[in-house]
Amino acid sequence: MMLFFQQWYGELLKLFARRRTYIGFGAFVALEIVILLLIKKFGMGPIQKAVVGSGESFEYYFSALTVASTVMGFSVFLLGALFLSLVAGDIVAKEGEDGHMRLLLARPVSRFRLLLLKYLTCTGYAFFLIQFLAWTSFLLGLVLRGWGGGYFAIVPEVSVVAFYDWGPGLQRYACSSLALGLSMTTVSSIAFFLSCFRIKPAAATIGALTYILVDFILRNSGFMDSYQHFLVTKHMSSWGRILSETIDWPLVWRGYSVVFAVNLTLFTLGYAVFESRDLKS
Amino acid sequence: MQPPPGGGKRDFGDLFDAPLLKTGNTIRTCHNPCLMALLEVRHLTKRWPTGRLALDDVSFEVQQGEILGLLGHNGAGKSTIMGITLGMVRPDTGEVRIGGRSVQKDRGGALQQIGAIYEAAVFYDYLSGWQNLRVLCSLSGWWDETEVKRVVQMVNLNRAIHQKTATYSHGMRQRLALAQALLPQPKILLLDEPTDGLDPEGIREFRELILHLRQHQGMTIMLNSHLLGEIEQMCDRCVIIKDGKKVFAGPVPSQEKTRRIFQLETSDIGLAREVLGRAGATMDKHGIVEVPLNMEPHDLVTALVQGKVQVSAWQPHRRTLEELYMGLSSKS
Repeated sequence: MMLFFQQWYGELLKLFARRRTYIGFGAFVALEIVILLLIKKFGMGPIQKAVVGSGESFEYYFSALTVASTVMGFSVFLLGALFLSLVAGDIVAKEGEDGHMRLLLARPVSRFRLLLLKYLTCTGYAFFLIQFLAWTSFLLGLVLRGWGGGYFAIVPEVSVVAFYDWGPGLQRYACSSLALGLSMTTVSSIAFFLSCFRIKPAAATIGALTYILVDFILRNSGFMDSYQHFLVTKHMSSWGRILSETIDWPLVWRGYSVVFAVNLTLFTLGYAVFESRDLKS
Repeated sequence: MQPPPGGGKRDFGDLFDAPLLKTGNTIRTCHNPCLMALLEVRHLTKRWPTGRLALDDVSFEVQQGEILGLLGHNGAGKSTIMGITLGMVRPDTGEVRIGGRSVQKDRGGALQQIGAIYEAAVFYDYLSGWQNLRVLCSLSGWWDETEVKRVVQMVNLNRAIHQKTATYSHGMRQRLALAQALLPQPKILLLDEPTDGLDPEGIREFRELILHLRQHQGMTIMLNSHLLGEIEQMCDRCVIIKDGKKVFAGPVPSQEKTRRIFQLETSDIGLAREVLGRAGATMDKHGIVEVPLNMEPHDLVTALVQGKVQVSAWQPHRRTLEELYMGLSSKS
């Protein structure tokens, strides 16, 4: 087990020694600041309408948590999938293309173990990145609105609208960001699966993004209403249920069971593809 | 500036102090049937999905302590053999056994005994040489800082080891590649065109290092190259691969001890061939005579003179690998 962690440390070292990894974090913070400035300038019109429409005080619920939730939502939507696909799409395909894989597999390590290390690295990274986004958004929210106030949570995908005070709101925000982190591992899993083929890293990234986008469009297009359970983004949105005042745990468990099953299937298929490949330039 | 003693050659002797590896004796004799075959290549056949036959029933062995050269033109199948040996390429039939363990059935166990440079060694440019070694060694489940430092010093990278490999020259990368192959203490080294792209100085240094490894540590080495000179200078035996087939396996001509070859100069080629034929010897069109093991060279000269052949010159001839290689190429 110790050996496994040492090997995983090696993978993490490779990931976090790259300048691009930090540029990504920097890009997210920059995007969050831009969204925050837009909120500061233009306010939160639709949120304000929803809060006031529910008979609550917008001034109370226009808090760091509400701002953070909005900033995080936009950031994940605009950049999250792209960046996670980029990292996971690179993790096998780029190493294969560059010749690193031949260097690694000249060692007495099985392809399964090597892929497992890489898979855990890119999904772990996805989880970590979302937590980074959640808490930098929260910090920026604090800068704008300060400590305290309420938390207005709205997730239209799962029809959740909820009002919390600061303490419970903060707990829900923390739990939902953990759940969102788990959901986003599926984006990494799709890119990882494609990365196991003998393709260019960019092709794996574009393939994963295309899949998620098409899935998302189908889910929101209406004519797939009867087949929503076939769409992975439907199950990924289970994180939003954590924000509901009364959490529907069976639905949450069902959603995450599907997410984990999809992840496991993608890893297994990716491994099967990789195992069958001859590694030679 | 004065050249260092030994004409600029590095002395690696003091660096071979690894107690687990040092044999205490210099090992020179290699093609000894009493030694066990450390690496066995058995009936390898591989056809690429495109339909091209990469290997056609190739078999050979590498014995403990020997340097075996795998020679062939580009695309002959040398790297495919290396790939199969490392379990990166799957053969259609046949197997490779390392120390008695089949790579195809027990890859992890078999590869515990191997260090390799397979195709161009590409390191993580954004990591230092040391970090690269750490990542690679972790995959072998091993890390011993003292031993790593010793090997780094042996390959003469101790000053640059903490720099990012992006700053390394090609020669430094090759030395780092050799360092990673030597960690952790393999019994057999697989080197796939290790001097490709090196300057003459780098090639010489690399060659000396390899020869020292064999001499002081008894390292078994399989070297893959299309450079005849490299094989000739470093290897005890060679296997020549042509279009996926083994066309020759035997001692490198310059290392041959048992064959006695002489160059005959005469104006009576036809008569000489006839006389030599009667005596049981053979001669090619260039006057190269192979003396049978049951005869002495002077017996042949006597036979020639008695057969009234005008002998202008009779001198020992050392066949080169190039002659052998070109001969095999022209035959096929």
